[in-house]
Order: sequence, then structure tokens, then C-alpha cells
Amino acid sequence: MAQSANLIHVENLKKHYNKGAVRALDGITVDVNVGDVLVIIGPSGSGKSTLLRSLNLLETPTEGSIFFHDVEITKKKTRVETVNPKTGKKSSKMVKINIDDHRQKMGMVFQHFNLFPHKTILENMTLAPVKVKKMDKKAAEEKAMQLLARVGLTDKANAYPIQLSGGQKQRVAIVRALAMEPEVMLFDEPTSALDPEMVGEVLEVMKELAKEGMTMAVVTHEMGFAREVGNRVLFMDEGKIVEEGTPDEIFNHPKHPRLQDFLAKVL
Amino acid sequence: MKGFITQVGFEKTFKYAEMIKEGLIVTILLSIFTVVIGFILGIILAIMRLSDVRPFRFLSLDKNGRLRGNGILLTISKFNPLSFLATAYVEIIRSTPVLVQIMIIYLGVFSQLIKLPRFTLFGFIRFERFFPGVVALGINSGAYLCEIIRSGIQSIDGGQTEAARSLGMSQGKTMSNIILPQALRNILPAIANEFVVIIKESSITYTIGVADIMAAVNAVRGATFLVMEPLLVATALYFLLCFPTSKLIAYFERRMSRGTKR
Repeated sequence: MAQSANLIHVENLKKHYNKGAVRALDGITVDVNVGDVLVIIGPSGSGKSTLLRSLNLLETPTEGSIFFHDVEITKKKTRVETVNPKTGKKSSKMVKINIDDHRQKMGMVFQHFNLFPHKTILENMTLAPVKVKKMDKKAAEEKAMQLLARVGLTDKANAYPIQLSGGQKQRVAIVRALAMEPEVMLFDEPTSALDPEMVGEVLEVMKELAKEGMTMAVVTHEMGFAREVGNRVLFMDEGKIVEEGTPDEIFNHPKHPRLQDFLAKVL
Repeated sequence: MKGFITQVGFEKTFKYAEMIKEGLIVTILLSIFTVVIGFILGIILAIMRLSDVRPFRFLSLDKNGRLRGNGILLTISKFNPLSFLATAYVEIIRSTPVLVQIMIIYLGVFSQLIKLPRFTLFGFIRFERFFPGVVALGINSGAYLCEIIRSGIQSIDGGQTEAARSLGMSQGKTMSNIILPQALRNILPAIANEFVVIIKESSITYTIGVADIMAAVNAVRGATFLVMEPLLVATALYFLLCFPTSKLIAYFERRMSRGTKR
């Protein structure tokens, strides 16, 4: 299969509640390319979070497809082509899609951090690498300590989440996701539950990440971040993508009246 | 009538100390086995009740692969046989007296359907009476523990599951590493209560001839014509079993509360 540039491809995605009375997502088509920092903005209830959560199937879409590395993960099975190394013959068979395998490659950061309260910070970070990736415990701990050093929290390794401030928790949540070495990071309003003075430290970590070339999809109300760090911005309203463009196009030359209205209120 | 409670009465009662000691051991073993069976059964039932097994799920989609709006097919598609069975089990057990359940198990199941071998353990536990007692109490407490465990699992914030699944952990790993440890901590007081109830409720097995504390005390009563003294001995023994049990679990509760206090 030809390797395409887009990491995630979303095709006509729909998510309906109450038998179609509520349309959280109403036909979304979007690509996430390698190295993208895609920022999704829009009013509450516009479907931004639903879209993000659909990408790793925390929400099951009603209709439409999501491709990750050209594999349609919204399907139950996929056709895999294999080449017999001896005869060189090509064959293909249907293989069950295990969403857990794909989720490992998509790190996710939540609004409410969702750290595991009964585990220390270090255990929070090593649990998945050890249990899922079957990484050696020592190696996982070493890696976790390196990551903690990056966000300046090595002294908290043996603390429990409740002993940390909101900003510290969210920084841990970010490096916990990074410990699985994901190919893309999904951020679901990572700063919305934080005290204003702690927003900066979390955004700083995200900026660093973007600079290193991590592919990111970010739902946020931080317009400054969208403008400065994003390379593409989506504006959503009522389950649809109303406008899409570079930060300059979206913030400085908004075309759609709905977006102009939105920006007038938030900026 | 020489007096309500007398020292002589206790002296007479303690002549049967050996029998009462055996009764104590029976009660302890009965409770331990019941707790183990009840707990395993409770976890299985709770997972059944919370499962998402829907054999007729395909009926929810119409010819074009869209979700149906309404109708009987949609209702059938939501049917979960595992959850239905577990719920029925819990409701039936909770709505009938434990005495009836014990009689059905002992007089019905293990006397007519299944023949148990007759032998004694340690020289004083009659297996053919002890075993049905354990089974009946286990079946009973399983229903109560199921409800406790289910409420514990449901009390954990959905964000915990989402975080674990987003890290690539399977449903099983999420349950065993993230949800159950936290749920267990939340429900420990309720479980302690249930354990104490089991110890006390085990006294009902004397009705099917299990030689527990209650049976021993009744035998002493019959032999000595004393009333209060043997019963007070039973009271003391049950208290000495139940009180430390709840204290022990309170200790574990404190130890497990790591991470909930600063």
C-alpha cells in the first residue's frame, strides 16, 4: 500500500445521539499529517472534543471512517497483504483490528488529567509501558525519569497524584502519554481545568513538544497557543467544520460570519 | 431456681469446653470458606452485570448498516443474557430467607440430586453437613457481595478507564490494574460489614446439623439444663470473632488509603 503523508484521515464522520436528534458530529472530513499541530477551536458543544475522542475511538462514531496509517480503524477487520519471503508470492488475509494496538501510538491528554490516584507518579508512567509494551521495568523507570526531568518533576517521582498541583498533574499526564512513544498526541482541553497561573507551564511543555516535531491535535480555548504554535486551525460549530486554515487566515482574515462572531467574543 | 447466672453454671458449661472449641473451629472454617466462595462469586456476578455481551447486537442495524431509531428489534438487540442471569440471581437470593436457601441446598440438592461422601474432617467436622452449609452461605453472600463490588466499580470515574484505554491497555488490564484496586478501596467498609454478617449468619447452619458454636451451645443447654451461661459463652465467642475482623479490615483500609490524603 502506498505510504501517504497523512497519519490520520477522517472521512465524513458522524456521531449522533438520541436517534439523530443531537448531532455532535455532522460529517467531518479532515486529515492530520505527520508534523502537524492541528488546533481545533469553537464554542462549547460544537463537537471539538467528540471529534478528538473519536480519533482513538473513545467515542464510537455513528457513521463514517477513520484511517490511521491507512488502516480503517472504524472497521472490525482489515485486509493485510503479506509477501512470502521464500516464494515471493503475495497473499492477503483478513485480520481483526485490535484498537489497543493503535491507541498505543496515539497519546491522549485529558482535561481532568485522569492520573491513577492509587499509583505513584513513577508507577503512573511505567504501568502501560511495562504491561502493554512488555518493557523491562528498569528500562521503563529510567525512561520515565528522563521524561520527568524534561518537565522538571523528578523530585515528584514517588509522590501520589493528590500531592501535586493541577499544572504538575497535567505535565505528568503529558509525559505519561509520551512514555508510550506515540506518533501523535491528542490534547482534549488540557488547560481548561487549571488555575490561570498554571496554564503557562503546561502550554510551555506543549510548545516544546511541537518544536520537536511531534504531531499534535489540540482542542483548546487558548487562542494565543493556537495562533503561535498551531500550523493549521479548524473552527467547528454544530458538529461541522465551518472554516479551516492557517492561524493567520483564521485569526486575521476570518471569512465565515460565525467565526467572526466567535472571535469577537473570545479575543 | 438458684439464680439467673451463676458461677457454678459457667463451671458446668466449661466441662464441655472441648465441644465448644470444636464448634468455634467449625464456625471459623465455615466463615472463611464462605467468604472465599462469596467473594469469587461476587466478582464474577458483578462483571457479568456490567458486561456488554449482546448476542443480538446485529439486529440494531438496518439493511443499510444504520442504527435503527426504535422498534422491537432495537430492544432485542440490547438484550444481555449474562447481565440478565446475574441480575435475576441477585434479586432472587436477596428476596428469599437464607434459612430457606440452606434447606433447599441441604435437603434438596445435596440429599436427592447429589450424594455426598460421608466422612469427617479432623475427626469432628461432618463433611456431608459442612459442605452444603458452605455452599448455601457462599451462594447467599455472593449475591450481596456482587452488589457491593458492582457499586464499587461504578463509583470509579469514567476518566480512569479512558486514560487506561488511551494508553493501549486492554479492557481486562484496565479492570485489574486500574478499576478493581480503586473500587476495592472504596468498598472495604461495606465488605467488612458483609464479612461480619457472614460470621454471624453462619450460626444458622446449626439447623442442618453443622456442629458450629451455636450447635455446641445448644448441646450444652440440653445436657445441663442451663440457659444463660452457654448462651453468654456463645455471645462472647461471636463477639471475639467479629470485633477483631472489623478492626483488622479498618487497619487495611487505612493502609490502602495511600494516595487519597496529602
